[in-house]
Amino acid sequence: MLLFIAWRNIWRNPVRSLLTIAALGGGVVMVILYAAFLEGMTRQMVQYATEISTGQMQLHRQSFVDDQDLYATLPWHYIERIERRLPEVVAAPRLYAAGLASAGDNSSGVMIKAIDPLRERRVTKMLDHLRSGEARFDAVSSNEGVERRYNVVIGTQMARNMHLNIGDELVLITQAADGSIGNALFRIGGVLRPVEPNFDRMGVLMSIEAYQQLMYLEEGFHELALWTQDLTALEQPQQPQQHVASLLTELHAEQPLDELGGAAMVRNWRQLTPAIADMLELSKAMVIIVGFIIVGLASLGMLNTMLMAVHERTHEFGILLSIGMSRWWLLLMVLFESLFLALISAVIGSIAGTFVARYFEQYGIDFSGSMPDGYDWGGIVFEPVMRGHFEPQHLLSSSLLMITIAMLASLIPSWRTVRMKPAEVLR
Amino acid sequence: MPLLTLEGLGKRYRQGEVEVTALHDVNLSVEEGEFAALVGPSGSGKTTLLNIIGGLDSPSSGRVHLNGIDITALSESELSDFRLLQLGFIFQAYNLVPVLSALENVELVMVMQGRHLHERRERAEHYLQLVGLESMMHRRPAALSGGQQQRVAVARALAAGPRLVLADEPTANLDSENATALLDIMHRLSHEEKTTFIFSTHDPRVMERAERIITLRDGVVEGDERIEQHRHGQ
Repeated sequence: MLLFIAWRNIWRNPVRSLLTIAALGGGVVMVILYAAFLEGMTRQMVQYATEISTGQMQLHRQSFVDDQDLYATLPWHYIERIERRLPEVVAAPRLYAAGLASAGDNSSGVMIKAIDPLRERRVTKMLDHLRSGEARFDAVSSNEGVERRYNVVIGTQMARNMHLNIGDELVLITQAADGSIGNALFRIGGVLRPVEPNFDRMGVLMSIEAYQQLMYLEEGFHELALWTQDLTALEQPQQPQQHVASLLTELHAEQPLDELGGAAMVRNWRQLTPAIADMLELSKAMVIIVGFIIVGLASLGMLNTMLMAVHERTHEFGILLSIGMSRWWLLLMVLFESLFLALISAVIGSIAGTFVARYFEQYGIDFSGSMPDGYDWGGIVFEPVMRGHFEPQHLLSSSLLMITIAMLASLIPSWRTVRMKPAEVLR
Repeated sequence: MPLLTLEGLGKRYRQGEVEVTALHDVNLSVEEGEFAALVGPSGSGKTTLLNIIGGLDSPSSGRVHLNGIDITALSESELSDFRLLQLGFIFQAYNLVPVLSALENVELVMVMQGRHLHERRERAEHYLQLVGLESMMHRRPAALSGGQQQRVAVARALAAGPRLVLADEPTANLDSENATALLDIMHRLSHEEKTTFIFSTHDPRVMERAERIITLRDGVVEGDERIEQHRHGQ
């Protein structure tokens, strides 16, 4: 009977109830949309953290991590051993060096990164992010047909700063591993879209073969990026990391590494990009905080509605108390009214929120007119089209958040009914 | 043993800086089945007395015993149960729940009493029939006249099986025809159901039908007259 009375009571003033439902439902839509956009950005962040260049795990030697020690390499046979022991894992070796690039009157400090293009394509999608040219790293003969030059791929900002185009030549000067000054002429084969702010400004990507000829460093590699087909490794990277770590121990036992370079170590993407891992945690907290703010504001509508409803029906409540209704029944009745309003709002808000979030998942918000290369936020380069990602669980969490806050807001008017003195309100 | 006994009942309250005495040393007893009117000018303490008897207000002094229970010693929740099980109320302004039909309004108190659906539906229909509203039991209060609403209120008060019905100026908002009809119903049911009625009024039509007239003035019982011949005249 209480539920029945409460249901009918909310339609005593349909305009007011509909306005309340609109406010609460609108709040749910906003929270769902906000959560969808944040989920979209989060996924892009994880994609950035893993797929673009980092991979799910990386191997290094301690000295390379600490000091970028050029000689802290891992032996080449590690790749084959890891892939044989862990068949679900693919690996891509990388080498690094710092140098100076010069083209015409322009020069710039650069970060040289050497990759095996075939392996790199299996581990990351870095080479798919070309802005112009091709991801080619082969050696071509110069116009005169005498000297062979390796193709390199550079970052967009560096191409702009140094006025470089596809086919232009670039001189790289660096200190080679044997102490000599390594220098060579390279050809710009492609320009990479901004995927990483540092690489965009000063990155030069070349083949391992080209690197070895420039740096005289053939003993091993600095970094091994790993990708496992097991997608749960993205969320819980600790387990495959342990497998690799135990294998490293075995390999070290078989053939100890030199002490200067330090031990081999494996780190997962959360450890490699702690800023992104932190931002992921932060984004989860942000959904809750912003959700509280949005729904909290919308719940003021509920508070107002129920305060008005209780105020208008003070005399009626006095009558109900007089004829023997207990104060708790009265409190429950008002709470049920709030609950009905909140439930209707949750259903309507969830339906509308699903449509809106799906729309922005498909079409997104296109900033490519003003920011063709996307936007850099917190060191992460995002796509120029900001897309949401709809997760059904957001419907439940947003609705529960709204219902909880709305019910908390309705406690104030409900409590007023408990404190009523029948003789006073009947007077 | 009387159904209701008031012993040295007093009620004082503050109105701003002034202390007002609403009731002073009221001593009364009411037997089961009485049809008694509380009369007196406005401000004489009629409503205050009814509120105290009904456990809606507490006295400043004195005791109220109803059916052997000292209701002044009951807690809030005990009073609520007491009202639910022992008392029926009829108010001046009908005061039905607007979102419920006449039938549902009559059932409401029985729902709170925890009576079974079948029993309460049967009783509600029976009492609505007794007050002549069997054809309108599914209408909501807004679709009923003032007189009809007050008859629903009478049915609601009686259907729950109270020992005592308290009515605060039940005919004040009714025209002469409706007021007379309502009083006839209340009077008849009082006898048929053996239910005690105490109602406050300054309506001469009500006083004419009362079997006992208790007169209050300035919070003091000024007169208490039993009119036996009136009952016999019915």
